[in-house]
Amino acid sequence: MNGRQRVLDFLEGRAVDRIPFLPITMMFAAAQTGARYRDYATDFRVLAEGQIRTASKFDFDYVNTMSDPAREAADCGAIVQYFDDQPPAIVEDQARLADRTALTGLKIPDPLGGGRMHNGVKAVALLKEQVGSEKMVEGWIEGPCAEAADLRGINTLMLDFYDDPHFVRDLFDFVIEMELRFARAQVEAGADSIGVGDAAASLVGPAIYEEFIWPYEKKLIEGLHAMGTRVRLHICGDTRHILEGMGRLGCDIVDLDSLSPISEGRNRMDPDQVLLGNINPVSILRDGDPETVSRQVALCHQEAGPRFIVGAGCEVPRDTPEDNLRAMRDYACSHQP
Amino acid sequence: MEDLSQLQEAVITGDATVVREVTEQALAAGHEPLKLVNEYMTPAMDEVGRRFETNEYFVPELLLSARAMKAGLELIRPLLIASEHPSAGRVVIGTVKGDLHDIGKNLVAALLEGAGFEVVDLGVNVDPQAIISAIRENDADIVALSALLTTTMPSMRLTIEALQEAGLRDQVKVLVGGAPVTQKFADEIGADGYGSNAVAAVELAKQTIAEGR
Repeated sequence: MNGRQRVLDFLEGRAVDRIPFLPITMMFAAAQTGARYRDYATDFRVLAEGQIRTASKFDFDYVNTMSDPAREAADCGAIVQYFDDQPPAIVEDQARLADRTALTGLKIPDPLGGGRMHNGVKAVALLKEQVGSEKMVEGWIEGPCAEAADLRGINTLMLDFYDDPHFVRDLFDFVIEMELRFARAQVEAGADSIGVGDAAASLVGPAIYEEFIWPYEKKLIEGLHAMGTRVRLHICGDTRHILEGMGRLGCDIVDLDSLSPISEGRNRMDPDQVLLGNINPVSILRDGDPETVSRQVALCHQEAGPRFIVGAGCEVPRDTPEDNLRAMRDYACSHQP
Repeated sequence: MEDLSQLQEAVITGDATVVREVTEQALAAGHEPLKLVNEYMTPAMDEVGRRFETNEYFVPELLLSARAMKAGLELIRPLLIASEHPSAGRVVIGTVKGDLHDIGKNLVAALLEGAGFEVVDLGVNVDPQAIISAIRENDADIVALSALLTTTMPSMRLTIEALQEAGLRDQVKVLVGGAPVTQKFADEIGADGYGSNAVAAVELAKQTIAEGR
């Protein structure tokens, strides 16, 4: 059973030989090839090489195209700052939609138009071509709150929920349409699954989440499922106050960050919901030792039960000792769901 | 006659318009500017911090209250400066070099200001030299450094080293925080304190000032 079959069968509820292993790597993967992170994020060939080398060396069941949150915003004309050795970041004080009225003139960029989204689509295609029969290929898009924050500025968006709810809904409508087009291009390029990163959603309380964000996440996820792809939801940070809503979205995989205990996720979501996570990427995975990593992954597994995938709470940090990552791998490889 | 309890309530509920109006009326009626801060605005922000800590408030509500408080402080601050009232302490705050993330730093800055600190916010991607200049210009008591990325955490160490080289390290206390930052890391780089969240950071700042006096 290869990694792709393992993950897809597991998500379908069929028996698999061991627990799937799907940690997020970005800077760690770039470092495996010695590439500058600037090149990893902007050149699909560098990204694919880093992902393939990392997935092969550590027996990941998948490869993934996430590099930074700025692909879509960059194509929308946002000012993005690039760094040699860390992810590109959006310059918030020059946000694309600093002026709310600019939304009416904003056109959805073509995901195959030669921009950063196109680069992501090419990464999917190259990964599919090179390892797509053995590893699950996962594309990536931003969720409604995260992308709205990228376009509007996260501090401003947080106030918009109270100042101008109508604008927020218009912005989310724009974002959902753009993200579905980007996702469709990735699915057509061969993605088996689409990851949705909606980090900013963890900053709001349950009332705003339910009223504003959940309906748009739901619409996005239904749109992705209608394309025939699987969906992984990744919300960084403390999501304890929105776990029920996350569980009602119908995602194939829900990631939990280390601030949200797996036991709480399990208690507040359907018993069949696949949970992924969630050892602390810094204090345990990077700064701990293999024994601690193994013990913490076992605890996550115990709390999650059989519908569980091994991974860290968030990205594997660049300077994580390889033996610690191998300890995660060894746990996954030696345990049944 | 203006109802000053409205001032407190409007900061808590984040109504900047009411805060501005009541502050204007109170000042016109001859109320002491410092009294408006100490008896109404600071308790209001304490309550906002409490609600944030107990998950009654989240980031949008905290930012709303911070904006409301600033609307009042804009009117009050010039009067306080003119009368040379001492603040709770002077804090130079910023997100370290290479890091453009500022929401955590903004929450800390807002709560510090609410607690009566004078806050010099240098923004994001702050070069150590800018911090050194700000310490000198403002005679700061505390430097508060934020980082969201593991890759920018080393900038905290570099900033502390730059403070040492500039001969300023003994003049200020350095507090650090941000999602990937830990107490262990703070100890390793020689910071004076670590706050795991915005409310903890403000308590740490108060404690730091109290110990230094």
